[in-house]
Amino acid sequence: MTSFFGRLKSGTGPASPASSTPPAKKDPNAPQLTPLEKLLQDAGPIRADGSDKFFGFENFGSTCYCNSIVQCLYYSVPFREQVINFPAKSPPEALQRPATGPLPRLNTNLLADANAQSSTLSPKGRNSFSTANSASPRKPVGTPAGAISPGQPQKPEDNKDSPEYKKKQALAAGPVLSMDYENSKAYGMSESLFSALKDIFEAVIAHTSHIGVVSPHKFLEILRRENEMFRTPMHQDAHEFLNLLLNEVVENVEHFSKTRVLEIEDKETNATIPQSNAVVNGTTPSSVGWVHELFEGILTSETRCLTCENTSQRDEAFLDLSVDLEQHSSVTSCLRKFSEEEMLCERNKFHCDKCGGLQEAEKRMKIKRLPRILALHLKRFKYTEDLQRLQKLFHRVVYPYYLRLFNTTDDAEDPDRLYELYAVVVHIGGGPYHGHYVSIIKTQDRGWLLFDDEMVEPVDKAYVRRFFGGEDQLACAYVLFYQETTEEAMLKEQEEESLAAAKQAAEVNTEPVSVATPKANGHGLTNGHDHILPVTPTVEKDDQFASLDHAVTAPPFHTSNHNNTMDHVTTSIPMLGKRQSNVASKKEKAERVKEEKERKVMEKELEKQAKAKRKELETQRRDLFRKQEDDLRVALAASRESATEESKKRGGAEPPATEKDKSANGLGSISKGSGLSRFRHSSMSLRHKPKFWSAGKDDKKDEPEVPSTPVTAEAEPSAQGTPGEKEKKNRFSLGRKKSTFHL
Amino acid sequence: MFVLPPPPRYPAVGYPGAPGGGQLIETNNTLTHPTGPEHQLVVGEGTYVLRDNLHLATPPPHPSEAPVHNPNPLATTVSPPTAGTKLSIVVVAPRQQSHSRLFRLDTANSARSQVPPSIQESPNESNSQASDAGSQSVNGNGVTAAPREGLHAPAFGSGNSALAVLNGKDSKDPLKRRKPKSNIVKSNSSFVSRVIPHEALTKRLQEHNPIGLYAFANVNRALQWLDLTSSTKEEHLTKILFTKAHALCHDVNQSTKGPGHVDIILGFSTGDIIWYEPMSQKYTRINKNGAINNTAVSDVRWLPNSENLFLAAHMDGSLVVYDKEKEDAPFAAEDQEQVQSETEKKARLVVKKSVNSKNQKFNPVSYWKTSNSKINAFAFSPDCRHVAVVSEDGSFRIIDFLKEQLLHQYMSYYGGMICVCWSPDGRYVVTGGQDDLVSIWSLEDSMLVARCQGHNSWVTAVQFDPWRCDERNYRIGSVGEDCRLLLWDFSVGMLHRPRAASVRQRSSVTSATLKMQRTRTDGSNTRLRSNSNLTSGSTLDEEEVVHEVEPRARTAMLPPVMAKKVDEHPLCWLGFEEDCIMTSCSNGHIRTYDRPKEGAGSDEVSTTASASNA
Repeated sequence: MTSFFGRLKSGTGPASPASSTPPAKKDPNAPQLTPLEKLLQDAGPIRADGSDKFFGFENFGSTCYCNSIVQCLYYSVPFREQVINFPAKSPPEALQRPATGPLPRLNTNLLADANAQSSTLSPKGRNSFSTANSASPRKPVGTPAGAISPGQPQKPEDNKDSPEYKKKQALAAGPVLSMDYENSKAYGMSESLFSALKDIFEAVIAHTSHIGVVSPHKFLEILRRENEMFRTPMHQDAHEFLNLLLNEVVENVEHFSKTRVLEIEDKETNATIPQSNAVVNGTTPSSVGWVHELFEGILTSETRCLTCENTSQRDEAFLDLSVDLEQHSSVTSCLRKFSEEEMLCERNKFHCDKCGGLQEAEKRMKIKRLPRILALHLKRFKYTEDLQRLQKLFHRVVYPYYLRLFNTTDDAEDPDRLYELYAVVVHIGGGPYHGHYVSIIKTQDRGWLLFDDEMVEPVDKAYVRRFFGGEDQLACAYVLFYQETTEEAMLKEQEEESLAAAKQAAEVNTEPVSVATPKANGHGLTNGHDHILPVTPTVEKDDQFASLDHAVTAPPFHTSNHNNTMDHVTTSIPMLGKRQSNVASKKEKAERVKEEKERKVMEKELEKQAKAKRKELETQRRDLFRKQEDDLRVALAASRESATEESKKRGGAEPPATEKDKSANGLGSISKGSGLSRFRHSSMSLRHKPKFWSAGKDDKKDEPEVPSTPVTAEAEPSAQGTPGEKEKKNRFSLGRKKSTFHL
Repeated sequence: MFVLPPPPRYPAVGYPGAPGGGQLIETNNTLTHPTGPEHQLVVGEGTYVLRDNLHLATPPPHPSEAPVHNPNPLATTVSPPTAGTKLSIVVVAPRQQSHSRLFRLDTANSARSQVPPSIQESPNESNSQASDAGSQSVNGNGVTAAPREGLHAPAFGSGNSALAVLNGKDSKDPLKRRKPKSNIVKSNSSFVSRVIPHEALTKRLQEHNPIGLYAFANVNRALQWLDLTSSTKEEHLTKILFTKAHALCHDVNQSTKGPGHVDIILGFSTGDIIWYEPMSQKYTRINKNGAINNTAVSDVRWLPNSENLFLAAHMDGSLVVYDKEKEDAPFAAEDQEQVQSETEKKARLVVKKSVNSKNQKFNPVSYWKTSNSKINAFAFSPDCRHVAVVSEDGSFRIIDFLKEQLLHQYMSYYGGMICVCWSPDGRYVVTGGQDDLVSIWSLEDSMLVARCQGHNSWVTAVQFDPWRCDERNYRIGSVGEDCRLLLWDFSVGMLHRPRAASVRQRSSVTSATLKMQRTRTDGSNTRLRSNSNLTSGSTLDEEEVVHEVEPRARTAMLPPVMAKKVDEHPLCWLGFEEDCIMTSCSNGHIRTYDRPKEGAGSDEVSTTASASNA
């Protein structure tokens, strides 16, 4: 059945409307697969930990901020583990699942329809897929593309290389998990962003397909119900959303455990919640703070009063770091600047407890405890006085794949901790009020993938480096996720990468189109670049070889090899290791070792074969080059005559497709003024909810508007926040307040 | 019909790595002379003043190659590797006397080779001195007479009769240099697009001052030959436009150069290599279409004192020695058995073809593999025995290329390493990388000596200033992606103590620090001993070869003596000349700073400067 569809798909190019069945198992003979499908050809049986799931997220009109962040969190392995395991791992049968099977959309449509009617808050965008689809079957999505013959000039969405087309295809191909239900009861929790997030994760992990699309209806519904600022269909700030989500999760988790504790004390039977017993057992007080354990670090601010020379220290927790940017700098340098000494003077004087009163002071902030996951927010949206609004900074800020922090305190534990980059949220667009977010994420064993709403595509490792920014770069990195790792893990990964690269290089020699080459939809190499193809591996894990093996000689058991990369993850994150050992039984491990051995043997054999092949390929290649050269010579001869004319012509023809399109991007129609008012509005609305948004958050909201005196945000709490007062604040708001720092 | 989500359409911004302006007509170089305090470098020894700013014109793309304008900034198409403008400088007149005069350490020869004065202060030093005794024969000699010592080092491949025959033939007629085969002007190769010689080329060549500087500079797909001492230096002597390949690196052979002959080797983004002789406008293409290795060449250099052999670093981590005279032959690793076993031991240099191979009729002469990750740069030691190689995976290797053996492997603090350079005496190696640091490594002690913090972004080029190096103090310059030029004065005795012990202290700690560090190194492992192997060449244990990352708390931090933003664009090359400092940027700007008039060569100024700075 599935292979039939695979063939059907390959024959007609785009998926036929009927092929919305989950393409879980790919027919290896089907030549026209999406790059992701190609990548996953060797994917084995579904894993329990969700590391082999690559789902896009449906965009309901400018919900890309949400999609990009949720994707990053999903691939933050320890975070995903915790979400799944808190309050307890739910038995699969207890949970409602999104409808799957041959008619997924039928079900979904009904539900979505009902949902749309029942709740006015359900996500609706101007260009919403969901609303359009909930009324009519999704089928038309696939059909128009089928009629188009490739090569003709087409609308942007019909161009097979365009993201629009690919997104459409992804939706059409499905399976689409319509997350319009909630299982919070089954979790023993009240409905919250956390339960909705858990629903999404659970559904993705449990699904039988490796790929698909998630429609996060419920999640957005809750988000918008709770937070006025996300209610508009406007472009939102992804970092703000990340911050809100993390704090919301902290709050939900703590709220849950608090009520749980109360319930235990009352000894009330909670027959209404069938899971409760298991839940209580599974919830130890220590596990409540798991978000803190992952994302939280501690900053120490040292303030030295210039009058009495008294130095006071204050620790503050953070969930992410917001760093100011400079043109032509690096993340390392931004972090160092973050910890540079600053003067508190004039308007921002420091209230010294010793001399009593506002005094001039020197202040510096250093990191005392390093977080396990370091979320770095590059402050690309800066308020400019003369324009009276936020502006995007296109500064070129380079970021390395690996990082250590220089700005630690002297007593910091493990100050040389090594971090590796594993996710980048990219903002595309000319300003803060419109644009698009995508994320580029390093997955456990499938290398780097680009998550652009519904579309998921493998990319080259070097691709990650394209978003440093710069004057002519619309797409720039906005949030960077670094996770702790070890040198051993780094070396191991680099070795695997280079092995992959070597294999790929060999592959490039043998076939014109390599499996791993990130060319769009199998549209071949259009140029003579194949001899300068990337040396950097597209897919860095060795199961890429397994896939190659598979194609040649390997027996099917090969395919589960990708497990072995899990080992290195576990070493890098010890806490996770324990949990994973629950998942992966010892037997599996033994098998893995065996497979590993077998794989090595296979590889050696393969290498020998490759060597033998090389010689005959050499002749082939020479012919090819000769031909290329001839072609080129012809082109040259033609071009030489008209070289100058042509270049002139081109000079005239080149520029048109420029700036004007910027506004077409997403929410161009929204006036700049309204965009600004949104920001003010949101911060106002936040004040309505003092419980959620403490003073610190307000500072944060205000901050972009007064960047000229960045110290205020810091000086304020330090002036008002005596230790005792701080203790009194409940932990949620504490976490939230401390979540962001602006310097 | 169905409504799509907001179509992300973007203005055409050019493909990543495209030249900034993207103008489409051939333009001329421009020369400006900006003045003012923002164009001066104030250092202890005086003020460097910007002489001029030469902007090389970026050529338009070749007509046959439609510019890749993908309006989608997320496009996953792979663009070919590019590099900023780099220069190869050559003075055609023999430079011997200037060397002996300017490398001041030569004056201290005899004392130095025995006991280096700066290190002598430490009583503990006797220890490492003893162990160094053996290595002095290599390093010490390298120290004493860097430029000439190379002649005493055995030539690469001298033990191989298959190579010796050819070498002998060549050296027969030293005055009449062999020229490449093809004329580049009349060439009908599709590789070369156009050659534009200056209209008065012969006249300008005749007028050229023999001690003046010639420069070869790549910008985009063009290579320009410039006369930097000419009054019309903005007018290129010759400009070669290649069809689509970009020259990423180039090097001039210092041992064959002469008034009528310059051998330059160019490495391209396509993997091709061109041997070019600008005076006769002849060229030869090597590794044609990547016959031997099809990945881009990231760095290329002539083997020291070799007329024919050069080393090219390919982006797949291969180091290949080619002979400019030889034809290509498809390459397959020669000793398969060895390769397989060596892959297991990653700490080894995999020799896929040894220089001692009897099969030397065709290129490559030898073929080594460091790892599979991209090599960013390499540099030969002044003693002509070692090569230092830095890679994108953050590793830094010291290879004895005569013995084809990996001696040391270090790691960056984090991130890839980008550039590497040897001190004129061969005692130290400096590297720069993505950790924003300039790291100084001591070869004798096989350890990290200091990290230099001051750049705000990745360090793209480091150089020693041989005219400001003496036995006590080394001047290092570095440029980076932060558009800044930094100068460092490194003296072993003046290193800052790491903050580990107590609060940050600004006072300079002399040899005590170093002693402490050394004893610690001594106690913790036997690394120090490994330098005896450095000469003996006996088989090395892996632990001795691979060195771990030094924690921050244990390494000295060195602040810069000068930091200045010198360009609008990320810098990518730095050069020191007798009378100037030169930088170049990704956009083709070459800036020349005159050295302070009175300060050059005066010992007092430099020492006081470094002392006051320390």
